[in-house]
Amino acid sequence: MSFEDIYNHYWSKIFRLCMGYVNDHAVAQDLAQETFIIVWQQLPKFRKESSIGTWIYRIASNRCLRQLETDKKIQKSELPFQIKEDVPISIEPQIQFLYTCISNLPETDRIIISLELEDVKQAEIAKIVGLSEGNIRVRIHRIKAILTEKFKVYER
Amino acid sequence: MNANIDFKNLWKQQDIEQPNHADLLLTLKRYKNKGLRRLVLTNVLLFITIVCLVLIWYFFQPQMITTKIGLITTILAMVIFVFAYNTLFKYYKAASESESNRAYLQDLIAIKRKQKFVQTKMLQFYFILLSLGVCLYLYEYVNKMPTAIGLLVYALTLLWIAFNWFYLRPKMIKKQEEKLDTLIKKFELINRQLDEQLEIKA
Repeated sequence: MSFEDIYNHYWSKIFRLCMGYVNDHAVAQDLAQETFIIVWQQLPKFRKESSIGTWIYRIASNRCLRQLETDKKIQKSELPFQIKEDVPISIEPQIQFLYTCISNLPETDRIIISLELEDVKQAEIAKIVGLSEGNIRVRIHRIKAILTEKFKVYER
Repeated sequence: MNANIDFKNLWKQQDIEQPNHADLLLTLKRYKNKGLRRLVLTNVLLFITIVCLVLIWYFFQPQMITTKIGLITTILAMVIFVFAYNTLFKYYKAASESESNRAYLQDLIAIKRKQKFVQTKMLQFYFILLSLGVCLYLYEYVNKMPTAIGLLVYALTLLWIAFNWFYLRPKMIKKQEEKLDTLIKKFELINRQLDEQLEIKA
C-alpha cells in the first residue's frame, strides 16, 4: 500500500478519531496531519507485524495522548500546513453532541469508543490500546451506556 | 429517541476536510527541512562560540594556566549542555509511536522523568562550570590591572554570577520543573485509567 493510498483511505477515520478526542476542528486537523507525517516518515520501517490499520491507529491515538504537552499553546505558525482557518461547522446538533460527550470521557475511553464507532474489531482495539479483549468489551459496553444515558437527557 | 441510538451513523456524519495529496507532500518536505535547519542552527551556534574562544586563546596568548583552564571550562560547560539536550532527543526517538497506548504512556512518563533530571541537574552543573570558567579566565587580566579596578571587576562579575545563581537559575529550574511535573502527573493519571480497566476484569 502506497502512502497515497493509505492517506486517502485513512484520513477521514483518523480525523474522526482525533475529533472525538479533542472536539475541536482545527486541533483535530493538526493532530491528523501530525499522524500522517509520522506515518510518512516511518512507513519504510513498517514491518507488517501488525495490520497497517492497527499501526496507524496506534500512531494516531498515541499522538492524541501526547497532545496535552502542547495543550493551550498550539502555535498556528508552527503548523506544517494550513487549510482554511474558518471551517464552516454546520453539523447537526446531534452529531455535535455525540462528539462533545465523547471528548468529555476519560482520555483512554475516548480512544476506545472512537475506534469502536469506526468499526475497528475489538481484538484490534485491544492491540491498539494494550489491554485484553475482555476488558475492551466491558469498557465499550459501559461507555455506550453512559452515552445513551446522556442522549436520553439531551432529548428531553 | 429510543434506547438504540445509532452512534456509528452519527459518528460518521462528522464534517471532514481532507487536504489534497500534493499539498501534503509539499508540506512534508518543508517540515523535514525545517527540522534539519533547527538541528544545524543549534550546532552552528555552538561551533561559532567555540571558535571565538579558541581565537581568543590564539590572539591574546594567555600566559597563565588559570586563563587556559577558564577557557576550557567554559567550552566544556557549553558542550555538556548541548550534549545533554541531544540525549533527550535520543530518548524521544527510542519511544516508538507505533506501540500500544499502554506501553507508549509508560515510555512518556519515563522520558519526562529523565528530562526533569537532565534539565534541572544539568542546568545547575552548567551554571557552576560557566561561573568557574569566567572567574578563572578573568584572573590573568585582573592581575595586570591596578588593585582597585581589579577588585571592582571581580566584584561586578561575582555580582552578575550571584544574580544568575540566586535569581535566574532557581527561576528557570522552577519553571521547567513545574511544567514537567504537571505533564508527568497527567500522563500518570491517564495511565491509571488503564489500570482501572484491568480491575474491571479481576
